[in-house]
Amino acid sequence: MRGNKGALLTLTIKLRQGQFVLNISAEIETQAVAIVGPSGSGKTTILDAVAGLRQPDAGVIQVGQKILFDSHSGINLPPYERQIGYVPQDLALFPHLTVQQNVLYGMSNGDAEEHARPVLQILEIQELLSRAIGKLSGGERQRVALARALMARPMVLLLDEPLSALDVDLRDRILPYLERVREELKIPMIYVSHVPDEVRRIADWVIALADGKVVRSGVPAEVFGFETEKHLA
Amino acid sequence: MTELFEVTGFTVLMAGVATLVMLPPGIFVAWILARRQFYGRSVLETVVTLPLVVPPVATGLILLKLLGRRGLFGGVIDAIGVDVVFTWKAVVVAMAVMGFPLLVRSARAGFEAVDRRYEGVAATLGARPLKVFWTISLPLARRGVLAGAVLGFSRAIGEFGATVMIAGSLPGSRTLSVAIYRHAELGQDTAASILIIAAVAIGFVAVYVANRLGVAT
Amino acid sequence: MTTIMRSLSLLLIVGFWLPSCSWPVAQSGSLSTATVVVSVAASLSDAVGDVANVFEKQTGIQVLVNAAGSQILATQIIEEVPVDVFVSADERQMIRTIAQGNMDEGSYLQLLSNQLVVVVPSDRLMGISRPDDLIAQSVRRIALGDPEAVPGGVYAQEYLEQEGVWDALESKVVPMRNVRAALRAVEAGTVDAGVVYRTDARQSVNAVIAFDVPVGRGPRIIYPAAVSTEPPNPESAAQFFLFLQTSTAQQIFEAYGFISLLAH
Repeated sequence: MRGNKGALLTLTIKLRQGQFVLNISAEIETQAVAIVGPSGSGKTTILDAVAGLRQPDAGVIQVGQKILFDSHSGINLPPYERQIGYVPQDLALFPHLTVQQNVLYGMSNGDAEEHARPVLQILEIQELLSRAIGKLSGGERQRVALARALMARPMVLLLDEPLSALDVDLRDRILPYLERVREELKIPMIYVSHVPDEVRRIADWVIALADGKVVRSGVPAEVFGFETEKHLA
Repeated sequence: MTELFEVTGFTVLMAGVATLVMLPPGIFVAWILARRQFYGRSVLETVVTLPLVVPPVATGLILLKLLGRRGLFGGVIDAIGVDVVFTWKAVVVAMAVMGFPLLVRSARAGFEAVDRRYEGVAATLGARPLKVFWTISLPLARRGVLAGAVLGFSRAIGEFGATVMIAGSLPGSRTLSVAIYRHAELGQDTAASILIIAAVAIGFVAVYVANRLGVAT
Repeated sequence: MTTIMRSLSLLLIVGFWLPSCSWPVAQSGSLSTATVVVSVAASLSDAVGDVANVFEKQTGIQVLVNAAGSQILATQIIEEVPVDVFVSADERQMIRTIAQGNMDEGSYLQLLSNQLVVVVPSDRLMGISRPDDLIAQSVRRIALGDPEAVPGGVYAQEYLEQEGVWDALESKVVPMRNVRAALRAVEAGTVDAGVVYRTDARQSVNAVIAFDVPVGRGPRIIYPAAVSTEPPNPESAAQFFLFLQTSTAQQIFEAYGFISLLAH
């Protein structure tokens, strides 16, 4: 199924791993889409597939005009050519590098200062740059991981449960950052979460997943309106 | 007494060179065995393990057949005008070959212990495989690599069987182990003991250095 | 981490181009002094060492003595290692090298002989004076050089077979890596007796000769010598080979207990 040229994101993924079968198809035309569902439903697998870290058995992954994966024509871009920003659930901050080295890791020499400044500003990590990764608080780590992904100038941002490890206080403090990233940098994002509040604030489209299949999709109000948390972990 | 210094110094230097020689290919082989699937993988694994299982003299014979004038590489080496057999270079070769499997084992474990997530994220940040290797995999695997280097070095110091075969037992290029053996053979226990103490001392130093590098052997 | 890598790479480059320094070995004519490389059986290494010293003083030619088991020496020679002269502990290994064309048949000569002796630990004499005595119960283990591996072992087995006691003793035989190791075992007392070369036994303190094998009765032990067909140092090789045959050299060998086979 070829993507609709107007769609920001086209995902058709068929993937089998052991007993688990992922089979989804979605075309997203909004800027921020949330994927919700119980654990084990395949959310992280989708992100991995979009990032190029997992290869679907069949399908198409297309971001805007750029085809990242197409099993029919044998296209499979390696991760380093996909221009994806990935913030995994455990953040995966490089432990042997400083904050600055982490954040600048994806930047090539040609990148302009003007690109870097807004990111640093929005996420307020200037003071953190010389610190060691081990010395950061939970919220700081989150922001650094975000900054690192954004510095690489991604076409789309993948966020895997970015706030789930934080306590409520912290969540409320970090959420605005995400909103600002969305508003000011205008980078499309795929946001995996199981917290309705976050989803409502960040996303304008929601895909609900269960057992590797899409069970519902729509605007947050639709998806969360009648459906209760029984679809969510 | 001069023999003590000459032989010990020679052996340590040769072992050092051998360790350096085995590091690049050792790290490379360890990395591809840890991270890549490819045809002939098990063949590579077997070949790498061979010097561990086969008696050193047999390994020495294989090396002799390869490097001797009639050998596969011997012809080429001769044509370039380089002498290997019966020179210090042969000592390095024997040591490097015997130490290689230990290096690979340890380095491989080091690479396998690196969380693939880091490598994956680095790739999404635009890093090609070589950059990932240099900036992420190798630094995070450095304990295994260094431990492997120490093991390889220690093995090189103790190397005997293969060395005798391709380097001979010639004065001026005798290694510690060969010298110890020679004295023991001739019943010169005092001389042998002195050299043995030197060998033990080297062992202690190696372990000490390894600990300083923060590496468990 | 990068500093480590950089310094390692530097050391590697330096190491590779390490000049030959003062560790020479067998590079024909690449040293300022002339050299000659001699592969000798392990049992000869001491004696040849002394001979070499005299030769060096007389001629200024440096002698590099490569001592190991004759099998290993022969294998090395067949693989064309740079050796000028070969003195083997038995004919078999020498014949191997001649057959393969590495040693010059024309230069071949039988240089020395040796004698077998039976030794026992100095603190456990057990009154052994004849081969039959070895069959006694009190002799539980007998050390030889490994007949599969070294000439000394072959000779020992031949002798025991010839005396008709091999069958009775075979189960008591402990093959050692070489003849010297057999002697060491007797000295340490881990075996009750050993069949070794006279030349090794004479120098021993903790092992005593129980009886000599009379020269006529034992197998004919021969140390053949030859020059390589393509010696790396042809002139030095010829000189040294000749020197081995002089009465000076022969007397040194005899002082060690070897038997000269050259009329002089």
